Amino acid sequence: MNALSLGIHIMKERLTAGRMMVIWPLLAMFILFSSWGLSDPKVNLPSSIIIDSAYDVMFVSTAFIIFSATLGAVLISFDGVSRDRLSGVLEVKLSQPINRSIFAKALLFGHWSAIFLPVMILNSIGLFVIWYRLGDLPSLEEFFIHTLGTALLLLWYTSIQLLASSWAKDLGSSIAVGLGVWMIFTLLWLVLTTVVAGLSGVGVDDMSSKDYVRIDAIMDLFSPNGVYHHLLEMPLDDVDRGMSPLYISIAAILWSIIPVHLFTRRIERLHP
Amino acid sequence: METFLDLAGVSWRHQVRDFSTWKPWAKRDGAGVYSIDLEIKSGVILGLIGPNGAGKSTLMRAICGLYDCEGFSKTCEQRRAEIGYMPEQVRWEGRITVTQALQSIALMRNETIEVSSVINTVGLSSKSDQILDNLSQGMRQRLSLACALLGNPKLLVMDEPLNGLDPLAQRAFYNLLKDLANKGVAVVISSHQVADLESLVDEIALLHQGQLLIEGSLSDVRKQLDLEENSGIVEMICSATGIDPDDISLELSRDTMLPFKSLGGEEE
Repeated sequence: MNALSLGIHIMKERLTAGRMMVIWPLLAMFILFSSWGLSDPKVNLPSSIIIDSAYDVMFVSTAFIIFSATLGAVLISFDGVSRDRLSGVLEVKLSQPINRSIFAKALLFGHWSAIFLPVMILNSIGLFVIWYRLGDLPSLEEFFIHTLGTALLLLWYTSIQLLASSWAKDLGSSIAVGLGVWMIFTLLWLVLTTVVAGLSGVGVDDMSSKDYVRIDAIMDLFSPNGVYHHLLEMPLDDVDRGMSPLYISIAAILWSIIPVHLFTRRIERLHP
Repeated sequence: METFLDLAGVSWRHQVRDFSTWKPWAKRDGAGVYSIDLEIKSGVILGLIGPNGAGKSTLMRAICGLYDCEGFSKTCEQRRAEIGYMPEQVRWEGRITVTQALQSIALMRNETIEVSSVINTVGLSSKSDQILDNLSQGMRQRLSLACALLGNPKLLVMDEPLNGLDPLAQRAFYNLLKDLANKGVAVVISSHQVADLESLVDEIALLHQGQLLIEGSLSDVRKQLDLEENSGIVEMICSATGIDPDDISLELSRDTMLPFKSLGGEEE
């Protein structure tokens, strides 16, 4: 008995769930269409972003991954614990001799891999699209950083969502917490950044000013999407927001450890 | 009979939301079980009886290691490894098959388990490839029973196992329990179908408002309560709890859990 074999079982269960009929097309549209569209040599992007390599396409298309894959993680995990709790299945599972922390890790692995696998399959197809359109492929290092960043981003959202699911006593509050967190980090973080910048005395009329970019970089450390972007910016020579790789690594480690630890503790003390 | 598990002063109170304070996270002690002393013997079928809210399900969960309370002769981990638990009304759902659901539960035990033999035992072999969403309530009960039987448990704890089972399945279920008890498996069962329970159980334990009022074989309990030989479980509950059989109302349980009457003692 180990977390991996049980996690694979949970992954299979999740991959065959009815909601995947919605998530697959959603992911395919966002990831493949963005790869196709952004690798057009004539593409005209805002903020004077210039695309001249395969990794540039992958970097810009992460905006679409953030939108679709993280929502997919929420949709897959929102009832990861609460549904079993409501149906009484959790009572059966928690009465088994499995160590609770192993069970928590299996839940995390199962739900995370159920979203990571489709995203990786579509990302790989996206690479062929980029190669077909642009005639270029990312280096191994660039591909590794992109994959690692995506894996971590999905792990952060999955662990936060499962934690919410273990707190919630009904499916409604579980998805409300999950979507709330998703909206804060995906849609409202820019607003929060401008508020913090304004309170710090930095003008928000010029978002490319050095001071604003600095505040934006710091604020990004407190958001999973922001840390994801920091990680992906590492191989880019023309992007420098003045953030030390040490801070980015610490933020990534903390985002990986804290929600996972909280979720494991929660499962260890959970009463069905 | 060899003792499988001893309970000495087992207590557990649910934490319920406290609306008397402005703090939304505030909780207070709710209902539960209080100072339960009980001996669970191998090969004996013990019936837990009592009105709604008496603490039967709470006690069963505590026995199965779902609550971290003290007073057991075995640790939580030992109990989980040796006990098969069938909770009340599990609603199995999803697009996985019966076999896959059982395999995922089997993965949570420390041993290699052949699930097909358990599927045959509970009569689910014709439904083993059906997805959970398509199962009837009776089939779901059988699946819960199959989960409890995984890994050859030494104690079976079953909370209202007969819900949703047809009369034939109920009879088969009784036969299965008797077979298991003959093989030395201890069984703790609660059911509201008291007439059938009387013919099945070797001993009963009567709970009311979180307290164990009386335990023993049916004839012993009748003697202790000064009841006639043909008196049933309802009369036992009424006699032990002080409820007038002619004045039974639906309002039987209270949240306070404090002892309302000790058997043979003064009212508290």
